[in-house]
Amino acid sequence: MTSPARSSARRIAALLTGLLLLAPAATGCGDRTGSGPSGGEVTAITALDYYTDQAEHAQWGDLLTACGRTVGVRVEQTSVPGASLVPKVLQQASSRTLPDLLMLDNPDLQQIARTGALAPLDGYGIDADGFAPGIASAGSYQGKLYGLAPNVSTVALIYNKDMLAEAGVAVPRTWDELKAAAATLTRPGRYGMAVDANATFEGTWQFLPFLWSNGGDERQLDTPQAAQALQLWVDLVNSGSMSKSVLNWTQADVHDQFVAGRTAMMINGPWRIPALEQDADLHWGVAPVPVPRLGQSPVTPLGGEVWTVPQNPSKARQQKAAQVLACLNSPSNMLTLAQEHHTVPSRTAVAAQHVEANPSMAAFAQSVAVARARTSELGVEWPKAATGIYTAIQSALTGEQTPEEALSHAQQTATGR
Amino acid sequence: MRSRPPQAADPSPVRRGDRWTRWLFVAPAATYLLLFFGYPIADNVVMSFQQYTVTSFYTGDAPFAGLRNYAAVLSSSAFPRTLLTTAVFTAGSVLGQFALGLAFALFFRRRFPLGGVLRSLLLLPWLLPLVASGTTWKWMLDPDTGVVNAVLRGLHLTSSGVPWLTGTSQALLSVVLVNTWVGVPFNTAILYGGLQDIPPNLYEAAKLDGAGPLASFRHITWPLLRPVVSVVLVLGVVYTVKVLDVILVVTGGGPAGATETIATQSYELSFRQFDFGRGAAMSNLLIVLSLVFAVLHLRADRRARTV
Amino acid sequence: MKRPPGRGGPLSTLVGIVLLALMLFPVYWMVNASLQPAGNTLRGGWFPLHPDLSGYATALRDQGRNLVTSLVVALGSALLSLALAAPAAHALARFRLRGTKVVLLGILTTQAVPSIVVADALYGAYNDLGLLNSHLGLVLADSTAGVPFAIVVLHSFMRSIPEEVIEAARMDGAGRLRVFRCVVLPLSRNALITAGVFTFLLAWSDFLFALTLTTTDTVRPITLGVYQYLGAHTNHWNAVMATAVMASVPAAVLLVVAQRHVTGSVAGAADK
Repeated sequence: MTSPARSSARRIAALLTGLLLLAPAATGCGDRTGSGPSGGEVTAITALDYYTDQAEHAQWGDLLTACGRTVGVRVEQTSVPGASLVPKVLQQASSRTLPDLLMLDNPDLQQIARTGALAPLDGYGIDADGFAPGIASAGSYQGKLYGLAPNVSTVALIYNKDMLAEAGVAVPRTWDELKAAAATLTRPGRYGMAVDANATFEGTWQFLPFLWSNGGDERQLDTPQAAQALQLWVDLVNSGSMSKSVLNWTQADVHDQFVAGRTAMMINGPWRIPALEQDADLHWGVAPVPVPRLGQSPVTPLGGEVWTVPQNPSKARQQKAAQVLACLNSPSNMLTLAQEHHTVPSRTAVAAQHVEANPSMAAFAQSVAVARARTSELGVEWPKAATGIYTAIQSALTGEQTPEEALSHAQQTATGR
Repeated sequence: MRSRPPQAADPSPVRRGDRWTRWLFVAPAATYLLLFFGYPIADNVVMSFQQYTVTSFYTGDAPFAGLRNYAAVLSSSAFPRTLLTTAVFTAGSVLGQFALGLAFALFFRRRFPLGGVLRSLLLLPWLLPLVASGTTWKWMLDPDTGVVNAVLRGLHLTSSGVPWLTGTSQALLSVVLVNTWVGVPFNTAILYGGLQDIPPNLYEAAKLDGAGPLASFRHITWPLLRPVVSVVLVLGVVYTVKVLDVILVVTGGGPAGATETIATQSYELSFRQFDFGRGAAMSNLLIVLSLVFAVLHLRADRRARTV
Repeated sequence: MKRPPGRGGPLSTLVGIVLLALMLFPVYWMVNASLQPAGNTLRGGWFPLHPDLSGYATALRDQGRNLVTSLVVALGSALLSLALAAPAAHALARFRLRGTKVVLLGILTTQAVPSIVVADALYGAYNDLGLLNSHLGLVLADSTAGVPFAIVVLHSFMRSIPEEVIEAARMDGAGRLRVFRCVVLPLSRNALITAGVFTFLLAWSDFLFALTLTTTDTVRPITLGVYQYLGAHTNHWNAVMATAVMASVPAAVLLVVAQRHVTGSVAGAADK
């Protein structure tokens, strides 16, 4: 055994060279041909969404089946967890195995539409007339409509009525009121306020109502307006009115804290209402997200999932999928979905009808009417800004950086430096 | 003392058919490894030289980017910190797992009632899906409501509680702790197997020479266990460097990126920012790093053993 | 004390139980959580005073089939890994093949490759070969952890088989295959079981391949089943934990049985 190290190093080099030579054969992602019958009658189409929750999966399954029946196809529904939906879509895009009907979270639509993998909906006589402008903009890319959401949502302040009454605190309307109320409501084993400030897009989503309502803007993050919004969260944590654990909480965790009586108020969305209603002892109310100064109206982000029709070699399948999509977005189905999920119908006229029957949805419906789509300004560049925002939140809440420093760093991230 | 009989030369004369038989032993495994690793590695290397976007997945069109992905990854302002975190995480976890694993292996070598059952139960942490056990740890370590702080407060070791998941340095300690817990079963089992292979008569002889437990550990157990220790440590490092799930479940890389390692960064670049070119560059860097470590370790180990 | 490594009495058992209780506290905590009512982990105390089995009912209803899938895939992967690794490890340990070092280093390289890199590349290939959503596909993919690992473990064990034992068999006129089958394999029983147990566990705990290489719920291992519960709007923590606890039972039984056989010692046997 002479100088084993040197000879083995040479052999590794040889091995690596071999691998590199292998490489060209391994590329070629895009040249696989699509599957699926190109002729013959279409009897079944596939659908992909992220409704893994048992009840939700079943409700959507029923609706998809019903809509399929009206156009004469069986709809095979698959649900994957939210975090793995886009990776799965990318995989399927590269192997040309996209489903016939695809659900996307609305801020992801533009990125996917840009790839060319989605079919424009105008070819099927589907348009966004009568839809809330926010959702129409989130479903469009370069002036063309690619996706429609039957119902939308946003976040609001959800509070524990008993705790507020017991502490003699009125529902906070402004940031100052919020800080004061949270401080008064805090006692051993309980915090006044809870948000989701984790290092994901969810954290960004919860911060947006504070950023936007104060005149902050994702195109320019290093502004005093943005710093003031971030300072509000920092103050809530530093004063002990909000747990530092918000750094790790998901929206579901925030909900758990609220239900367990460990927080008196929280930022969350209407999709929590079914779970909140399960607890008969819990008396809760919904109010708009507090604004910087009295009289302002909050600007919240628009939530909701859009349905799209991926490109398919079989135009017949595409046609059927588009018909199902149109059915999902029909006024009557919107109402059903809104009823089931406590969300707001995305057609303005239907939304008004829904609020009339469900007055508790008024706060959400008002917010939704003026809610802003996350991609409306930056489009496909939004994820970078969103990453910058949650990174800044984390740095500021841990005390690593001041809000100003954190946001100037966020601006660098957003502009890709 | 020599730990192993010298690796003697194959005594039989080499015939042509015989040589063919020898390769037959290796061929199935080699083919499998080439298919299931050669292809992905090649794929990843190619990807790291391309500018990948979300669109590339659909069109298959990713322009050649030269070394730009590597340059971007290496020059990123977060990179030095990520590298340091990776080193601390790996060293902490591997040492923790190894020390506890060895202690358990030595303990369970003694024969006592229920020893076998207890030893098997020690593997339980590995059987539990990590999503579930990681989440449990997250609850246990929660600064406000977690059982760990409740115990510490009960024992009056701390009044306010340790910010296990919300303090930047404490969070790193927490993921090291959890990863150590996950890795102890592996270390115990392998080291226990190694201990079983040490001939008992050596200990009898040592005892006759009047050697105490410490002396017999130093002069018999440790030298004879060296090859197994070496395997455990190298595999430990190589496995730990690429750990993803523990960190993603317990801290998600936070707070403020304090538990971000090369592996989680690579995952984030690829699957959150969909910059697969940079993600691939990052993971190639990871492969090279752990390979360099393995080679250096094996060389040092060989030198230590021949001296 | 007859055997030098030590023979402990009931005191050792007691110490063992205490140590194990500390190590397994998180497992207890999971059992505790699994017995709480749905979505209420924060209200749970130290003990499940009012045990609620609805988590188990949900888990059994949703995950029973996935449990079987996990067992099939993990057993298949353990068998495949041993079948591929044992001959290779023997050859690397015994024959002076050219390039043994490169092969070993190559194996180590494979261990350094993040699974996600492998999973990503396999998706495309599996799609073309029709291996998505199949037991075979998962067995093959999961063995990417098992095969190299088994080679490393078996190689280090097999190297310790004294050359004289092999030589003696060769003198008796046994061919290479016969030596391998009738001498090396029986002597390596301990190592084979160890490697088998670990390859089983590696496949059992796989999550990433299951996530990447399945697109429907026809073939879904339990780890993915647990993940499916997450990201839902209403939390199913009791069901998640119940699934985790349930999932560990068959594997634990298998391990206790297998561990009983990991008693012999390669070197000890060879001495006789």
